[in-house]
Amino acid sequence: MSFQDLIDPKPKKVFLLANEAIARAALESDVKVAAFYPGSPTSEILDTMYLLSGKYDDIKMEVSINEKVALETVAGASMGGFRSLTSMKSVGLNVASDTFYTLGYTGVNAGCVLVVADDPHAHSSQSEQDGRYFAQTGHVPMLEPSTPEEAYQMIKYAFNLSEKFKILALVRTSTRVNHQYAPVNIGEVKRRPFIKNKWNDVKGKYFTLSDTARRLKSEAIEKLIKIEEDFNSLQFNKIIDGEGKVGVITSGVSFLYTLDALDNLNLKIPVLKLGTTYPIPKKLVSTFIKNLDKIIVIEELLPYLEQHIKIIAKDSDCGLEIFGKETGHLPYVGEYNVSIVIDVLSKIFEKNIKINYKEILKRSEELKKVIPKRFPVFCAGCPHRSTLWSLQQAVKGTNFVLNNDIGCYSMLQLEPYNLTDMMLCMGASQGISSGMQHVLNDKIISLVGDSTFFHAALPGLINAIHNQHDYTVFILDNSVTAMTGQQPNPGSDFGPNKVVEIDIESVVRGIGVQNILSINAYDLKNNVELIKQFLDKEGVKVIISHGPCALYNDRKKRASGVPIIPNKVSSEACKTIYACVRDFYCPAIELNMDTRQTEIQLDVCNGCMSCAKLCPVTAIKSVGSELK
Amino acid sequence: MKSYNILLTGVGGQGLMLLSQILGDACTSKDYPVVVGAQHGLAQRSGSISAHVRMGDVYSPLIPYGSADMIIAMEGMEALRYIEYLKEGGVIVMNSRIMHPPLETAPIVKNRQEKKEYITIDQIFQQLKKVTNKIISLDANLLALEAGNPRTENIVLLGAASTQKDFPLDSETLTNAIKRNVPEKTIEANLKALEIGRRQAEI
Repeated sequence: MSFQDLIDPKPKKVFLLANEAIARAALESDVKVAAFYPGSPTSEILDTMYLLSGKYDDIKMEVSINEKVALETVAGASMGGFRSLTSMKSVGLNVASDTFYTLGYTGVNAGCVLVVADDPHAHSSQSEQDGRYFAQTGHVPMLEPSTPEEAYQMIKYAFNLSEKFKILALVRTSTRVNHQYAPVNIGEVKRRPFIKNKWNDVKGKYFTLSDTARRLKSEAIEKLIKIEEDFNSLQFNKIIDGEGKVGVITSGVSFLYTLDALDNLNLKIPVLKLGTTYPIPKKLVSTFIKNLDKIIVIEELLPYLEQHIKIIAKDSDCGLEIFGKETGHLPYVGEYNVSIVIDVLSKIFEKNIKINYKEILKRSEELKKVIPKRFPVFCAGCPHRSTLWSLQQAVKGTNFVLNNDIGCYSMLQLEPYNLTDMMLCMGASQGISSGMQHVLNDKIISLVGDSTFFHAALPGLINAIHNQHDYTVFILDNSVTAMTGQQPNPGSDFGPNKVVEIDIESVVRGIGVQNILSINAYDLKNNVELIKQFLDKEGVKVIISHGPCALYNDRKKRASGVPIIPNKVSSEACKTIYACVRDFYCPAIELNMDTRQTEIQLDVCNGCMSCAKLCPVTAIKSVGSELK
Repeated sequence: MKSYNILLTGVGGQGLMLLSQILGDACTSKDYPVVVGAQHGLAQRSGSISAHVRMGDVYSPLIPYGSADMIIAMEGMEALRYIEYLKEGGVIVMNSRIMHPPLETAPIVKNRQEKKEYITIDQIFQQLKKVTNKIISLDANLLALEAGNPRTENIVLLGAASTQKDFPLDSETLTNAIKRNVPEKTIEANLKALEIGRRQAEI
């Protein structure tokens, strides 16, 4: 898409990412408040709303400190009578779940939509969590799109649904839906003027305890019974007619894999595509299975649909055979694709496969043995690379435990670093360190980025100070939430609105940390000794390493016309000592196979100068210094 | 419409996502069905990335193994890394440039006395030729510089790809999509890159 298409109020057909389509649908639905904490694969919803809020000033848009506060912010706006949107990744809803579960009881007022995105394959998450169970256990309805077009339509429907039943509406996606682009027929943007309400005009009751809780729970369940009635005939649940007594029930992106697989095998069997997966439209499912002998349930992650359908089949007493994960026909782990679906269908229907996927994969693995892995790495110029170089030198030969957290620095667990002992979830570096320092003799080191520090590490750190624990905290402050696309966090000096920059050092000092060391990430040689000394101190000590995210900073430089000047290795001076690359692993530095000297790729290097500082014979200089 | 599947591969930071946008936008402008499965997620540069561009009557955002009509690889090794997607005899349009990742350099530096070597583009060709003989290899880095902007490697390769038999998008459609999707001040260099890539492939 071009951004012009997205902000243009006129209807048209545009090529959109599903996440962009979700934001456009929210704009057309007259959303007034949107709040998010970024998380893959939903971050582009935030990014797009950020851009839209710059154009449509009646959108109050916030990048929140965490998902819980984001959900509370949009729920508050809904209670106040205005439509609101939030989105988060699967594990983000864990953070927001306390609020989420109670909202399921209290309900909301104006349309309030929560997009939650699962990440089958754990591409960029710590687990393959299945978000569908949130809807069922939280008493809220759930829609599941397959395509960008459907995501767009479902968001619009979800706002109406939420408003009609005064209930939070969940739209559940997965990575291959969020990150799918396709043409979308977008509609007209009509915004109503934003004039604040009076509480007396919109007032509801949003508290729950004891008998109120029991009453609200039964009301929520009654709402869901009515919603299920609507879902039985909703356009998002569709039966594709076919021949024979064997059918497929599927949803989300698995529906698309199924269609491709059926085409490929030239099969025309009945398919039920579920667009609403809580409550499941039982009547529709019963109608579908009534005339069938066998059903194959195709869904990623846990056998959620499979188990629900087993219950419906039992109630209908139709003797249906159900194939899925529990029968061993489909995997529990990893994301699905066309080949996996073809494989299972070809077995059940005894069809020959045109392409032997297993053979292809086997041959490819063989062919690929010659190339090295290319894992995600710290970008050229990343301040973390410099901080971590210093840390590696400072701890050499000592006994330590490294408790990591969620952010770019999570990559420390990968080759070539292999430097992480623990990494669970946002903020866990603190609490786990607290537990370990009670029982281990080693030095306990925790790493946390600025965004994660604010998001969930702060309570753990306060707890550690209050209880007089003994471990070291590295706060890697690069001024943005880098890994998800450099969104602002409370420590940033920018945001969709005017912001106050929260100073991490003042916060840490304010909660009573005595030993605070503030270092410049790029002063990497001098930092080694400073870190060493600090690690020997008693109590909770905090090292704040400063250096802006290279991607963010380079973009800022480009926008303001500041040149990015790379470095160069002098072939006269280089003595192939490799201090610039050993333990430093910068993707801009390669070797020249003829001279065995290092070389710097000019279009990758951003001139951070760290490698130059590491070179004992000063063979690395800025290209700029030669130009002078 | 007959389907045409292109797998884009490369290294983060080379403009692969923009290339997938241009292709998708071009199809949309012609009312061709298109779906792109992009790999977003981690924002970091220099990792291995891919995007599945599927034109015509297909449904899912992922190309089945052994079914891509074409791989456009923005980097030499990345042409091989996703080879399971190429159909038998499919086309590979690739950059001859190799970007050696830190994981390849690290063991060479660590065991310097062994004088280990980097992988070469010829070794990669050798492997690729076991799958197809339709390989178009360009020094896109050099050609992008010739176009006036080193960041137009992606469009140089698109130009070369567009000369291939069955490639479903014509020159005018691509030109318009480029104009709509690249920053305004880089339009001229990008169009020049398209032309250079096309000419190079026809030689």
